[in-house]
Amino acid sequence: MSETRTGPAFEGAATTTAARPLIRVRGVTRVYDQEGVPVHALRGVDLDVEEGEFTSLAGPSGCGKTTLLNIIGALDRPTAGTVEVAGHDLLRLGKGEAAAFRLDNVGFIFQAYNLVPVLTAYENAEFTLLLRGVPAAERRRIVVPLLERLGLADLMDRRPHQLSGGQQQRVAIARALATGPRIVLADEPTANLDSASSEALLDHMLELNRDLGTTFLFSSHDDDVLSRVRRIVYMRDGRVEREEHAVAVT
Amino acid sequence: MLWRMAWRNLWRHRARTLTMLSAVALSYALMLLAFGINDDGHARMLREAATAAGGDVLVHGQDYWATRASDIVVHDADAAAAIIGRVEGVRAAVPRVIVNGLASTATDNRPVLLQGVRPELEAELRDIAEDLTAGTFLTGSERSPIVLGSRLVARLEAELGARIVLTGTTPDGEVTRALFHLMGILETGTREIDEVAAYTTLEAAQRAFGMAGAVTQIGVVAEPGIEAEELAARVRGALAAAGADRELEVLSWREAVPEMVALIEIDDALGYIFLAVIYAIVLFSITNTFLMAVKERVRELGLLGALGMPGRRIGRLLLHETVLLTALAMAVGLAIGYTGHRIVASVGINVASMGIEEMEMSGVDFGKMVMYSTIVPARWIVGSIIIAVATVASAVYPAWRAARLEPAEAMRFYE
Repeated sequence: MSETRTGPAFEGAATTTAARPLIRVRGVTRVYDQEGVPVHALRGVDLDVEEGEFTSLAGPSGCGKTTLLNIIGALDRPTAGTVEVAGHDLLRLGKGEAAAFRLDNVGFIFQAYNLVPVLTAYENAEFTLLLRGVPAAERRRIVVPLLERLGLADLMDRRPHQLSGGQQQRVAIARALATGPRIVLADEPTANLDSASSEALLDHMLELNRDLGTTFLFSSHDDDVLSRVRRIVYMRDGRVEREEHAVAVT
Repeated sequence: MLWRMAWRNLWRHRARTLTMLSAVALSYALMLLAFGINDDGHARMLREAATAAGGDVLVHGQDYWATRASDIVVHDADAAAAIIGRVEGVRAAVPRVIVNGLASTATDNRPVLLQGVRPELEAELRDIAEDLTAGTFLTGSERSPIVLGSRLVARLEAELGARIVLTGTTPDGEVTRALFHLMGILETGTREIDEVAAYTTLEAAQRAFGMAGAVTQIGVVAEPGIEAEELAARVRGALAAAGADRELEVLSWREAVPEMVALIEIDDALGYIFLAVIYAIVLFSITNTFLMAVKERVRELGLLGALGMPGRRIGRLLLHETVLLTALAMAVGLAIGYTGHRIVASVGINVASMGIEEMEMSGVDFGKMVMYSTIVPARWIVGSIIIAVATVASAVYPAWRAARLEPAEAMRFYE
């Protein structure tokens, strides 16, 4: 099921151009064993996400949004089904290969506990580059403009506890984008932010999506967020219920 | 990066880190100081035991040490002493006549251990005259002088110049009596010695007990740095080369007083057990603390994994924290231990002050001992390596747990 809506917020979203989907999920189920009781988090999900999309998963708590994001980000494995991301069959990846896949292809923004508490904003932002062994000068060349663009130029030396929630999420965006990933997965990125901070964060993400062509896949049940994404995939009880596509107003 | 993160992680819980650091530092310092005091005490006990035994190496007639039979003697003492004196590493060959006898005055009879000695040679081992409380130590012109222990003198109710009759057995098995004059009184402070000690000149003893040219024992004093066992082997070799080996037994002092060696070994073993128990408690507390840290930081460790940090690197982060903690703690412990060592090395610990006033073994009077501290580098280095490895190893299990965390599960931990 697919619907179409319009709105000014979609002006900045990148145009979808790829013929083959960047993310291809087929028949994915995920069953957790909770003290001997099977819990069905996903029940046969099919989903395609094209390169450059700005898409959100929506639905009530417990509908499977986070589980699906975790599976697409190779943080979790499905019980059944296939997942292909950026040409990688995720079911074939071992633990170490999955870590390398995440490092090379995916940027993460989580709802909370996003930053390493003992590192400064700058160190957090460069963390994934460090893991990839990028030299210090190159890291600085990449990270400083990103932080400046996100309005964090004067806060680079602050530790996470010295930053507001919105500032922390912007550092997380910088970190997610530092390695130039093909996809950014953001799990309820505005859940702990006030509306002004949420607005600003979305502005930044839309801008980066437009300028860099990075694919953003969210999970959210915040109407303000959902009103600004290009495509919404509604989920309920572990299934994709319906989709909405926005039409950009020019 | 790991070192920087590890260092900062270490100080996230300052009080907890300082507690762990103190536990490691203090137990390490305690170990170093215990090593210092033990090594010094044992070295003193060994030196005193060797002195009490009569030398680093003892040469007797075959089987004398086991039987103490009066008929087993070194017949040609001068020749044997000359052979021994030429052995490399020998500082002095000290001949002695030793007789178990009976001292008599008009008042009483008491058992004695008479030693006929050459005072100038005995001084190479120990200056017996230091214990004199009255008279002289075999230096006058008296032909048959005798110096007795203070308690023995009291029992015999003798005074300086008194006539003392000694009864003993000659190597031929005859019981003989000889008259001596009391020229000096010794007080070693050890009851057992002061009750039986009797000294005369070597010549007077040989004359009194029919041992012309013979002695009971030749004590061999080693040059500094020469091990008793090595010297004993050299003396055996020299005597064998001279064809005298069948008649003589050569014992290192360790063989002569095995009970002292056993005491030191037991003391060492108990010390190690004590330190091991203390340190095991410290290690368990470190393991527990790091396991708690893994649990507390499970979401954060999951985040590192989610961002693409390999599990083994996450585990190494915890090991880095332990290495830093260990290095810091050992630096502090070394400073405390070394300071303690310097204090004990200069001030000393009087054994008597610990309630050990009357304890004697193999001629060593523990009540008179003052223990200092000596650094034996090998022991400090080996001990330090063991502490370092054990402390770091205590975090291996928590690190392994951290390395095996599944990022998605870890990040769900507090949800």
